[in-house]
Amino acid sequence: MDPRPQPAESDRARPQYRRDVPSPAPATPKPPAGAAVAVHDLSFRYDTPEGDLIVLDHLDFEVAAGTTVAIAGASGSGKTTLLSVLGGLDRPQDGTVMVGGHALADLGRDEMARYRREVVGFVFQDFGLLGQLTALENVELALTFAHTSRRRRRARARELLDAVGLGERVGHRPRALSGGEKQRVAIARALANEPLLVLADEPTGNLDAASSAAVLDLLLRVPAERGTTIVVVTHDQAVAARADRRMHLVDGRIAAS
Amino acid sequence: MTWRDAIALARRSVGRRGGRAALTVLAVALGAALLSSLLIASTAAKQRVLDQVSEGGPLSGIKVDAAAPSPVALDSDNPRPGPPRRIDDAALQSIARLPDVVSVLPIIATPMVFEAPAVLPAAARATDNDGRPIFDSLIGIDLSRINDLPVTLLSGRLPDLGSQTEVAVTSDFLSRIGMTTQNAAAIVGTELTLGAPRDFDSGIGRRTRARWTRAEIVGVVSQDAGSGLVISSLDLARAAQAWTALSAPSTPPAPPTSPYADLFVVAHGLNRVTEVRTEINNVGYSTSAPESLITQVQRYVHVVELVLAGIGLIGLAIAALGISNAMLAAIRERRREIGVLKAVGATDRDVRRVFLVEAGTLGFVGGVLGATIGFVVARILATVVNSYLSSEGLQTVRLGVPVALLVAVIGGATLLALAAGTLPAIRAARMPARQAIGDE
Repeated sequence: MDPRPQPAESDRARPQYRRDVPSPAPATPKPPAGAAVAVHDLSFRYDTPEGDLIVLDHLDFEVAAGTTVAIAGASGSGKTTLLSVLGGLDRPQDGTVMVGGHALADLGRDEMARYRREVVGFVFQDFGLLGQLTALENVELALTFAHTSRRRRRARARELLDAVGLGERVGHRPRALSGGEKQRVAIARALANEPLLVLADEPTGNLDAASSAAVLDLLLRVPAERGTTIVVVTHDQAVAARADRRMHLVDGRIAAS
Repeated sequence: MTWRDAIALARRSVGRRGGRAALTVLAVALGAALLSSLLIASTAAKQRVLDQVSEGGPLSGIKVDAAAPSPVALDSDNPRPGPPRRIDDAALQSIARLPDVVSVLPIIATPMVFEAPAVLPAAARATDNDGRPIFDSLIGIDLSRINDLPVTLLSGRLPDLGSQTEVAVTSDFLSRIGMTTQNAAAIVGTELTLGAPRDFDSGIGRRTRARWTRAEIVGVVSQDAGSGLVISSLDLARAAQAWTALSAPSTPPAPPTSPYADLFVVAHGLNRVTEVRTEINNVGYSTSAPESLITQVQRYVHVVELVLAGIGLIGLAIAALGISNAMLAAIRERRREIGVLKAVGATDRDVRRVFLVEAGTLGFVGGVLGATIGFVVARILATVVNSYLSSEGLQTVRLGVPVALLVAVIGGATLLALAAGTLPAIRAARMPARQAIGDE
């Protein structure tokens, strides 16, 4: 039972604003063996003219290595913020987040970039492909910042595009690819650095039913073959149904898991 | 991320937004074109003015007269010479040994009777001495060192080295026969009769007879090497001088003639001219050089150069502001792209590098384009100016390929673009990585 005062039911329908949010003393517990992700007492808020907007409110959870977790919730419930914190795009403000042995709150800017480069892979709803690059070059991009040699990264990108069924379309720019194909390129790019954790934000949100099924199959199958942990934010019940575990966020809290 | 990867990515990014990139490059190109064309034109104009002042010779040229230095006005550009003094080979050698002397060229001037071409070009008009021989001097110069002498070719060409049958006439000669430099080309290719005079004692008095030779007029020049109407090789002038030197002695005896009428000395730089002139005065000869005039002209022309360069730089600075504006707009549009770069592991330094390379690429391409346009514009201007100068019978403007200037303009445009792109690049690098996910 959470001893903290709970907001009224009517308050949960809209964001909460507080002038003052207590910052609990950060404990840095070690993640249990087999946990790829350990989140302890994580809070996150935004400064707004009306005061602090609490987006994540004292979250605690763990994700076992090699499993798939689906996070659902209404718009504004904190799903995307949670994903950006796990991915090192935002820094935890309160609490601790451990991913693959990295305490994210302790990482500097360059270390955080290295974490994003080596530990996580992103799959975005709008694919996040650079329009000026070919499919092959988009996949290579993730390896470019890792100082991988040109020959090795090209070979790796080809291998991944073959794995997602786009071996014949390596030279195509994103505008010449369908939505499903773009998302497959994005999945290949997310796997380029052999990440510990793949974070997917509504990966089927912009796809039709047929493409969604194919992309979902790929997203859950290819990383699983490599023992990668997947955290996917989705409204899609089909995605959630295929995950090992489902979490439901309400107003920045885990309402059901 | 390596520089090579950053360049490849920047090149693709610039290419993707072709219209905006083209406009930005065009702005830089116009600024660079303005700067380079103004600098090329001002450099050529400066050279032209200084050529005019120095009569086409080196700026550090000094004329040594066959006269002792006058004790007054030694520091004047053109002092009044003292009493006549022979210049022979020994004097030439002693001057050549002076410090800061680069070269010493002898000038021979020998009396000569000229008979204008039998059939004058139609351009010539009747003058007072129409048809009569002209008594003046033939100037012999070292044609192999023409660039070290104050001689400017106006039309045709110079006589071949050592030629006994080719001469070039001066603009003064043209005016003596009723022609102008505007139609100088008309006399090129015609034949001139030269008579080297010798005085004989005929028993009833002195008589002057001439040894006549013919030479082809191959060119027209403007010159300040010596006093005379026609220039030739040293050999031709020496032969005439030797013939005339065998004249019968006169009563009273004429003063001994000097083997060389003048020497033309080139000092090691304009700033050494005063010292060299003093040394030559100490050897015992009068000198003249337009050093004060050249220094003043250089000062004024330098001011003009600075003003023109300033105008060009303002143009380039405006172009740089355009780059900065375009980059800032691009960063606003490419927040998502920057976020994706950071999401896949780009550091702030990587992002900064990509945007700096983009700015530098725009500046470099614009610089190359602008320098090329500027050079072409300068060439067109030079062609127009030269056609006017030629029609007036004046020396034309020399316009080479100013490689150093063009490289400097390209480098300057690139550096300016990098400076203009620095703030946008820093702003892009500092953009939160969260843009990749999008604000919730």
